[in-house]
Amino acid sequence: MNPLAEPVGVSHFMAVGAVMFVSGVVCMAAKRNALGVLMGIELVLNGANINFVALSSEFLSSNGKSGLGLDGQFVALFVIVLAAAEAAVALAITLNFYNNHATVDVDRADELKG
Amino acid sequence: MEPLNWHTFFFFLFALVSCAFAVMVVLSSNIVRMAFYLTISLGATAGLFFLAGADFVGAMQLLIYVGGTLVLLVFGVMLTAQGPFVSMKTRGGDWILAALLAGSLLALLVPAAFVVPEWRGPASSEVAPGLKPTSTPLGMGLLGVRVDKLNERPEALARGMSSYLLPFEIVSVHLLVVLVGAAYLARTKRRRDTRLESL
Amino acid sequence: MNETLAASLPTLLGIAWLLPLVSFTLIVLFGPRMGKHGIGAAYLATLAIVVGFLCSAIALGMWVSVHPLSPAHAAAEEHAIDVGREHEAGAAEHGHEDLKAPNYYAGDLYTLGQFGKLKVTIGYYIDALTVGMFAMVTLIASCIHFYAIGYMHDELHDVTDHEVVLSDGHHLHRPGRFHRFFQYLSLFCFSMLGLVYAGNIAMVFVFWELVGICSYFLIGFYIERKSASNAANKAFIVNRVGDFGMIIGLMALWAGLGTFAFGDTQEADGSISHGIFSQVRGADSHYELTVPDGMVRAAAYQMVSEVSVDHRRNPDPLAAESEIAARVPNYRAQHYGYWLLVVAGVGIFCGCVGKSAQFPLHVWLPDAMEGPTPVSALVHSATMVAAGVYLAGRFYPVFTPEARLVIAYTGGITLFLAATIAITATDIKRVLAYSTVSQLGYMMLALGVGGWVAGLFHLITHAFFKSLLFLCSGSVIHACHTNEMPNMGGLLKKMPWTGWTMLVGCLAIIGAGLPPVFPFWPFGFGLSGFYSKDSIIAQAYSFWTANPTHGMILFAAAAGGASMTAFYMFRLWFMTFIGPPRDHHIYDHAHESPRIMYVPLVILATFAVVIGWTLSGVWSVTDLLEQARWPGEAGEGVLLPNLVYPNEHVSHEPAVHLIAGLTAFSTALGGVLLAFVFYGARWLNPAEARQQFAPIYTFLLNKWYFDELYQVLFVRPVHFVAAIVAWFDKQVIDGLIHNLARWTRGVAEIDDLIDRYFVDGFVNLFAAWTWSLGNSLRGMQTGKLRQYVMLIVIGTVALAVIVNFASAQ
Repeated sequence: MNPLAEPVGVSHFMAVGAVMFVSGVVCMAAKRNALGVLMGIELVLNGANINFVALSSEFLSSNGKSGLGLDGQFVALFVIVLAAAEAAVALAITLNFYNNHATVDVDRADELKG
Repeated sequence: MEPLNWHTFFFFLFALVSCAFAVMVVLSSNIVRMAFYLTISLGATAGLFFLAGADFVGAMQLLIYVGGTLVLLVFGVMLTAQGPFVSMKTRGGDWILAALLAGSLLALLVPAAFVVPEWRGPASSEVAPGLKPTSTPLGMGLLGVRVDKLNERPEALARGMSSYLLPFEIVSVHLLVVLVGAAYLARTKRRRDTRLESL
Repeated sequence: MNETLAASLPTLLGIAWLLPLVSFTLIVLFGPRMGKHGIGAAYLATLAIVVGFLCSAIALGMWVSVHPLSPAHAAAEEHAIDVGREHEAGAAEHGHEDLKAPNYYAGDLYTLGQFGKLKVTIGYYIDALTVGMFAMVTLIASCIHFYAIGYMHDELHDVTDHEVVLSDGHHLHRPGRFHRFFQYLSLFCFSMLGLVYAGNIAMVFVFWELVGICSYFLIGFYIERKSASNAANKAFIVNRVGDFGMIIGLMALWAGLGTFAFGDTQEADGSISHGIFSQVRGADSHYELTVPDGMVRAAAYQMVSEVSVDHRRNPDPLAAESEIAARVPNYRAQHYGYWLLVVAGVGIFCGCVGKSAQFPLHVWLPDAMEGPTPVSALVHSATMVAAGVYLAGRFYPVFTPEARLVIAYTGGITLFLAATIAITATDIKRVLAYSTVSQLGYMMLALGVGGWVAGLFHLITHAFFKSLLFLCSGSVIHACHTNEMPNMGGLLKKMPWTGWTMLVGCLAIIGAGLPPVFPFWPFGFGLSGFYSKDSIIAQAYSFWTANPTHGMILFAAAAGGASMTAFYMFRLWFMTFIGPPRDHHIYDHAHESPRIMYVPLVILATFAVVIGWTLSGVWSVTDLLEQARWPGEAGEGVLLPNLVYPNEHVSHEPAVHLIAGLTAFSTALGGVLLAFVFYGARWLNPAEARQQFAPIYTFLLNKWYFDELYQVLFVRPVHFVAAIVAWFDKQVIDGLIHNLARWTRGVAEIDDLIDRYFVDGFVNLFAAWTWSLGNSLRGMQTGKLRQYVMLIVIGTVALAVIVNFASAQ
């Protein structure tokens, strides 16, 4: 069976979203650079966004009905906006951290440890 | 040989690009390259949005994410990418741990995506009916009218009770606050040397 | 009853009464912060009392306009026209005179509590006497407030008290207490006005004690001086002795009458509850003193209970009541209850004895001179000592002939005793103090011999000239910084205002005036003291004509007292103001007081001259007081059936009045001449006279050895008993308590061990566990961001696995 001839469904989109999400999580968990962590967050958000958009689409499911309707797209929009805001603040914090400690290594930001 | 389903083809193309570059973001240790890979990955995601029929969201993805947020990130990269910080190596142990986690998480999520039968895709391959532009209903929804639910019951939904006017306002104020806060946090503080002044 | 007066008098006088309380409260709270060094306190207190005076003056004016002043003999006709209808029942057919209870306005402002029949209220009883007293007290208090602003100015800054020597040999140095002085003055005025305003005997008692405590504060104002604190204690304790008698009197009244109220008051249900006066001297018995039913029943308790027991088996319980009621006149004829009335009268008079410094409780008043002079003026003229005479006058309708005779003799003894001591005293304020005691004796004597108007008239005139004299003496002390008259002399040139006003005061107190020697000159002409003292002596004379034995003694005391009064007053004036100065140092430093001090003197001097004058229908204190007189006679005494109380109108007859006037005039003139011979012209040397009569002089100088007598009679035995009690306390009770304490300590030590090793150990163990747990958990908080992310993922995966596993089951 040629996968390229079959129509794709919500599940395929979700699989892509899952891959992006896991990439983001690993990025967050493994990168020492604070900006790398930020990029991981962006990836995680995008992975989630793909799911929202896919579920709002009518023609990706077998019964022709969309799970979320237009609401999924609204949520995706808000996620994009909030991601932008989050990026701005996180970047500001990072720069501040850089100013104060002359590094962007998150392992060095452990002043609050027990 | 069955005819090529172009919709499927482009889906796999964009999926491949976005997934591959997302993984490369993880694997790369050079911060500048990571930023570049992330740009491509997110741009490909916008393509996926188009393929899912969300033209407006895809456009916004390109405009805000690729055009705005990532520029901001690159800006941060440029400000901090000096000498030792350009590539910061993570220890091997961490990598192994992260890989283990990633594998288990993936093993959890991907099967979960295929659990619901309706989500596997339409039965016929005659897909991609005429795309309905979504920017108008989205815009109206943000202004308080759900044109996509005019025939829904109960009627309260149609009369704007399910619209997004208030979240829209909240998000705009939120953005403003965030911008002001970011500007405050990021501004360079001129440290005064109190020791010298006291002399 | 006049509706306008009934509505406005309680309010007006109530304002005058409560304003000093407001001032007191404000000064207590904010005194030291009022103006510079608390000077504002003086202005506030003065403002309060001046406004109070204005209210009282308005009240007096309203009273006079509704109840016009008329000469005494026309009073009966006036009464017939007057509106007071409710008291006339039964009075019409009695004799030729149409008797009528006096006009009064009584009521309750607030009921504090009701105990059976007895109602304890804040009420008022306002008659002509009340209105007159209010005007007099507030006027004199206003003058004294103004005077005190000048007199007390030393207290505005830190004071070094030269009369107090500390243990290190230095003089006491303390901050000024200017505001506190005015705070007490305000409280004093409030108490005195409340006493006059009071509508029942319980309220009188409360304010009576308030006056006492105020005098304690003020006499002990220089509390660091041993003599001042002793004097304050003495005044307070001696007054307690009198108050004990007063409480007995109160209990007798309560037991017999079941009410504390003076006048009849309208109850809420429209019925009239009868006060003390209308029960004792009801309209039914033509206002003659009658033992009230309640007292008769209380005294005939035995018989009453026998009747009740007889009727115990009777189905009709009212029968017992009616039989007892029917028997009451019979009991009354056997004098049941009469002695209860005597006890009530004498008991209340005991309180007056203490407060008005009558023999034998007069010892506190001369010592009370330790207070600042404005206080002396206030305490000894218009307020505290006046309170006793006022109460005796207020309760006059209740006094039986026996009680009256006790009053008369107490007054007679007091006036003579005090006058003799005043002759030898050299402290200027002590002379005045003894003169006060003597004059109070005059008032009591007048009341005792039936001269109700005469006694209270003398109270009012005396208040003016005695406050004037005290303020003058204060001015002299202020200038000379000494109280001793032998160090003064010739001050008239230095202090003309003080000297001349004091001369007016002296003339007033000795009753200077022209006696009614001419037929067209029926009452003579003179200063205020002339009228009041003449009417007292006239009443004493008319009492003498009716009762030869008692009357002679009392009249002799009155006449002799008048002569001595003249002598010691002019001795004082001559020694202070006339002749060459005895001490040049003091003389050179003497100066006239500031205007704020001598202007009140002039005002008081004016009143000391004119207050006794009669301007028919406009100005007459006697006619005003006459309106408050309770009609009817005291009746026959049980013990003294032959005692006759001549009507006070009799003493106004020209024949009686001429003799009295001549007596007073000649005795006073004799006294003044003697003083002039000794101290004015110095023809005779007082020192020689002193040597001639050395035993008498020593006796008088030591104040009849009263203090020593009381020392032996009361103080020593009390000390002895106290020593025994102290020994018992120290040996027996303390030993018991020490043992108890030792046991307690032992138990407490065991307790301590349990607490330390068991309770504390448990708590400490628990704390140690908690601490070590927290310490071991601390390691989880690594501060590593990436680790946290990993943990989140692990948690998510684990959760999903668990959920899957659970749902698969």
